[in-house]
Amino acid sequence: MRPPPPNTLVNKIVALTLCLLVFSGTLGLGAVWVRQEIFSTANRSNVLETKLADVERRLDEVDAGVAIALNPASLLRRNETMRLGLEAPKQIQVVRMQGSPETRLALKRNQEIFSLSTTARKSGPTAGNARLVTASFP
Amino acid sequence: MSKGFASNFRMTLIAVAVLACFLGVGIRLIFLHVIDRDDLLKFVNKARRQIVVEQARRGAILDTKGALLATSRSFVVVGVDPEMMNPDDIKSWPEMARLLKLPRAELSGVLQNSMKVGRQALANSLTPALENKRVRWVKLAEEVDEDVYDQITKLKVRGVYGARNFKRIYPGDTLAAHVIGYVNKEGVAVTGAEHHLDIYLKGEDGWIESEKDGARRELAQFRSREVPVQDGNDVVLTIDSVVQYMIENELKLIADKYRPKFATIIVSEPHTGRILGLANYPNYNLNAFEKAPLDAQRNNAVTDIIEPGSTFKIVAAGAALDLGIVTPASIFDCGQTSILYKNRQLKLPKEDEPFENLSVADIVAHSSNRGAAQLAMLMGEENFYSYARKYGFGQSTKFQLGGEVRGILEQPKNWDGLTITRMPMGHSIAATPLQVHMAMSAVANGGTLLRPQILKEIRDAKGNIVRTFAPEKREQVLKPRTAAVLAQLLHRVFTEGTAKGFEIPGFELAGKTGTTQKIIDGKYVSNRHVSSFVGFFPASRPEVVISVIVDDAKMSKGIAYGRAVAVPAFKHIAEQLIQYLDITPLMIPTSGALASNGGAR
Repeated sequence: MRPPPPNTLVNKIVALTLCLLVFSGTLGLGAVWVRQEIFSTANRSNVLETKLADVERRLDEVDAGVAIALNPASLLRRNETMRLGLEAPKQIQVVRMQGSPETRLALKRNQEIFSLSTTARKSGPTAGNARLVTASFP
Repeated sequence: MSKGFASNFRMTLIAVAVLACFLGVGIRLIFLHVIDRDDLLKFVNKARRQIVVEQARRGAILDTKGALLATSRSFVVVGVDPEMMNPDDIKSWPEMARLLKLPRAELSGVLQNSMKVGRQALANSLTPALENKRVRWVKLAEEVDEDVYDQITKLKVRGVYGARNFKRIYPGDTLAAHVIGYVNKEGVAVTGAEHHLDIYLKGEDGWIESEKDGARRELAQFRSREVPVQDGNDVVLTIDSVVQYMIENELKLIADKYRPKFATIIVSEPHTGRILGLANYPNYNLNAFEKAPLDAQRNNAVTDIIEPGSTFKIVAAGAALDLGIVTPASIFDCGQTSILYKNRQLKLPKEDEPFENLSVADIVAHSSNRGAAQLAMLMGEENFYSYARKYGFGQSTKFQLGGEVRGILEQPKNWDGLTITRMPMGHSIAATPLQVHMAMSAVANGGTLLRPQILKEIRDAKGNIVRTFAPEKREQVLKPRTAAVLAQLLHRVFTEGTAKGFEIPGFELAGKTGTTQKIIDGKYVSNRHVSSFVGFFPASRPEVVISVIVDDAKMSKGIAYGRAVAVPAFKHIAEQLIQYLDITPLMIPTSGALASNGGAR
């Protein structure tokens, strides 16, 4: 068998070099693309971090504002300027009771309902009475 | 046979050209990376590298119910980079002046000048010798709100930018000023909780090493090193803002009426030692600390000492009962003016009113000086001194915010002949208001002396509890039975003794009045007093201890007795606390009890 002509060898080398160039170019471009993605992700997360810090700062500002508004002295000033007349109860105004106040209130309410319904039944089926009893139910 | 698509010459030419290109690039790279490396690196570092310090947010101080007592708020310091300024932005200057609340002419003047400086600086930058004289920052306004800064950035004035700073805010102004303390303009925590709990509050600054673009924006992708910021912890105190407000209000009333040198009110829970309120007069505004005189910044409750006066009689009475050498019914002759003690005839102190035979219960109720002296003599110097120490006198209470003095309690070997007769009535001894308060708390707490607790817990920046502070026992001063008996004797102070007429029916108030002559130029004077009342209630199951101490109250008529100055304040605070803390009465007030109170409830 005869050896291949020299031109063919050169052509092969050139073709291989071109392939190598294309391959390394692709690799390079790929690396650039990956890097670009990393850059944009880093910048996006940086923007989010900044936004988060900004929100936290504003939250602190709101908290400080709320604390100033809820300070006992401010509340009392507001009570005066708005003429609400709110006052802490005095001992004489306080009635202390045994047991749960919710149960007592429910008992009282039920008693009212039942006494009203009894009254309604006794006085006959008038439209006015019936409406009064119905209105007592929640 | 194929000859290929190009001749050998052409192929060689292309190969040589490609190689030459690579060689050129390689040589350039060698120049950039090896030969000129140092100069170029210096230039790049200067132009692009930056280290951004991220300030840690200082933790907040909260009261026991989570209300903010101190917090940090961010402000923006707005400035301009003269070299970045653009003459086209002049039209936005008036709006910027309005937002920064600066006179238009003033701002224009500053900006015009900056622009001139900037141009000059740019010219100088070409001369290496003048490089360091470049001005890159001219401050325009401090403490600009975030909202205002947002509006300024929307104007897009080139070169104008802001630096964020945290500033400490105290929402309550004067509320609990001596407890909270403050951070000064340099960011140094100076007093109070701010100073003593700085280790929890301050946090750790973080920093980022990265690069910036031409508009000074950070290029996050070039971050090379990053140390994350650690915000400070929040500190929760045992102080209750509402209780604190009540006592500060009471102090204002006392100050208006009596113009004292100083006054202190302390409120605490006897079973935990937790301080619900601690206030002093004079007070100051934490948001304007620079205007407050140093005297107003003293936490008198721990830094000042007073002679406790008759409030100290709980030591003699408690000790005598605890040792079992007397009972509440034991009788003493309080009419005698002198007594034989260790073969010496000792003169007994004067009484405010003449007494004859008094029981121990009456000695406490009527505050007999001679009775207290005889109780101390009965137990001897060493026993009396030992009990005074057990009550916590002459030693630190271990107050968590520091700054306290120990007071003065001399050892018996240093006493003169009369000390055994004078100390039981609260002379020849000096104590801080907090020491006196804690001694009374021990009686209210079944004889156990606790450490005063001002710290409740530490929370991290996310709100998780990282440390809690439990009650700390210091000493068993009295047996629980003795403490209960003494509490009942102290209740008689209201029903029959020096605080009679100030009872709140159903609540068994208990306590001890104190009136001490002040020492001026080494002598006791009869017209200046320290008036005090230290007490608790209900006597049978104490829920709160209150101390009112007023130094040098100016009375329009008469002597500034503890009964006249401090007891009304004690009662007023007790009435408010009953409602606020929902303290339930021990018994339904009878008509007789109401009548004894003049019909008032």
